[in-house]
Amino acid sequence: MSEPALLEVRALDVHFSVRGPGLLPSRLTLRAVDQVSFDVRAGEVLGVVGESGCGKSTLSRALLKLIPATGGSVRLRGVELTTLPKAAMRPLRRSMQMIFQDPLASLDPRMTVGEIIAEPMKALLPAMGRVEREQRVLRTMQQVGLLPAQINRYPHEFSGGQAQRIGIARALVVEPQLVICDEPVSALDVSIKSQIINLLLDLRAEHGLTYIFVAHDLATVRHIADRVMVLYLGRVMEITDRDALYARPLHPYTRLLLSAVPIPDPALARRRRVAPAREELPSPLALPSGCAFRTRCPLADARCVAERPVLREIDGRYVACHHAEAAAA
Amino acid sequence: MAASLLEIRNLAVRFTTGDGPVYAVNDLDLEVRRGEVLGMVGESGSGKSQTWLAIMGLLAKNGRAEGSVRLGGEEILNLPQRALTRLRGERMAMIFQDPMTAMNPFLTVGRQMTEVLEWHRGMSRREARARCIGALESVHITDAARRLSMYPHEFSGGMRQRVMIATALLTEPQLLICDEPTTALDVTVQAQILALLDELRQRFGTAIVLVTHDLGVIAQLADRVIVMYAGRQVEQAEVHTLYGAYRHPYTEGLLRSVPRLDQPRSARLATIPGRPPDLARRPAGCPFEPRCAYASEICRRQMPPLVSLGDAHLRACHYDGALGPQERGA
Repeated sequence: MSEPALLEVRALDVHFSVRGPGLLPSRLTLRAVDQVSFDVRAGEVLGVVGESGCGKSTLSRALLKLIPATGGSVRLRGVELTTLPKAAMRPLRRSMQMIFQDPLASLDPRMTVGEIIAEPMKALLPAMGRVEREQRVLRTMQQVGLLPAQINRYPHEFSGGQAQRIGIARALVVEPQLVICDEPVSALDVSIKSQIINLLLDLRAEHGLTYIFVAHDLATVRHIADRVMVLYLGRVMEITDRDALYARPLHPYTRLLLSAVPIPDPALARRRRVAPAREELPSPLALPSGCAFRTRCPLADARCVAERPVLREIDGRYVACHHAEAAAA
Repeated sequence: MAASLLEIRNLAVRFTTGDGPVYAVNDLDLEVRRGEVLGMVGESGSGKSQTWLAIMGLLAKNGRAEGSVRLGGEEILNLPQRALTRLRGERMAMIFQDPMTAMNPFLTVGRQMTEVLEWHRGMSRREARARCIGALESVHITDAARRLSMYPHEFSGGMRQRVMIATALLTEPQLLICDEPTTALDVTVQAQILALLDELRQRFGTAIVLVTHDLGVIAQLADRVIVMYAGRQVEQAEVHTLYGAYRHPYTEGLLRSVPRLDQPRSARLATIPGRPPDLARRPAGCPFEPRCAYASEICRRQMPPLVSLGDAHLRACHYDGALGPQERGA
């Protein structure tokens, strides 16, 4: 990698201390994000996938310091964020914005669309005058496909897809470099979902944006991402270029996930072997020794019980599995 | 052709709201055959859930259903509460997206399950318990006897949905209505629940109605499919016909806008332009017309009737030409 990454994450931990069971409970540690390392290159879309409880939402929030990291490092263009005081973080917040899953829940119902979109500018660009602010609101509304006439409307007057356009406008109005999209289309109907995905791709091309796109839907991620990171129980299982990952997943967990995605073709869907009814997800409070995935893995052996696999490079791809060579061969 | 179990004629569901009436389901005619899996697909507001809530007598207070619904020849729409309770326990059952909302968090799973058999079958607690253990085992829950004394929150989402299915099947209903049964679950768990439903259908001959927005889920399990839009049935066909030779522009739009792993990645996703319909309005013409690439003058003026194309393929559309991107021009 010649150019330094826009975002460098190294050995990031987000651990929570929770109350254990029983009358005299001990404190247990929930490792929501555990030793996670990755880079985000300027201009790329990094997809982050995994099942519920894999830590993908906690990770997004920790990157923005909405949740404190308990260890490791996050650098934005070389500036360490985890130890940065609040005041020094403020100017950097302009560079990193977030789009949330439930557009209606994330918008203040008492504010008009114009106020909602202007709010981040008031906080992050306090020197900007009212006229310029309003112009920028209108310009951004136009970019995301909202009509200027809608500026004085309230969120409840909008459908889910329109509300998500407001959420996107609010994130983009301060001209960020990195946008973290946390399940931005999961709550939307099929016909609206594709409109929003196309909009995100257009905006990226127009403004040279970088996205971290967090989702549980692997088919959607394949559409939008350049590279994909697969998380399981807070740990990175695999990080690989999109086409390589979908064509030939190296980690058994990635293969399990891909094999379970429903295919909207009855002939193919019925020919396919259904994912075996293996163990369910272990408790995040009592992770298995060694590899976190071994209790559901068809390849697990003694080494997987004894030794936690590190993320290592194989053919230009990064995989945390003792048996990855077998899959690569 | 298999005998019909449930016949719906002219079903309409309307809600009275502060802003006037909302027409959730209109002129719905369909049947469910014994032992089949009928898929019903549509987006939010399509009426797919309200149809079945109306049939189960579970509409919200401001909702009203009209028309006729016959189960095994007997009229069941708008039955008095007592008769409905019997019917729901014994001949048809419904499971929902979030099993947690359908369970009582303060009662053990065992208590909630045995109650069904004590009430509907007059069994003793001991007898009922033995049956419930068997039911949990049939949905592949291990250690069933111990699980009966656990509370719903102690189960994972996938396990809770298994418990709901086991509970629904305790009285051996002829019809199991599943409303988005896997939408809240992870894909790996979803695959297991779909496999389970398929297995139970084959074992017990239960007819299943599968209501979902997910065309992938329908493709996996359904024998026949009904596509709903704005409270109306727009297309109905055998599953392979629907996916391979659909004849409604909305069905086409839905199928083309889903990102899928079985096809090469395209640079842009196809979309259905515009917005979902406003159910408070009742357009004179086709409700899909404002978003339809094939619409013409007649579509604005006149509601297309549901007509047969032969081979049990029905659709409601005025457009007679071919569908598909190649005919649509650049």
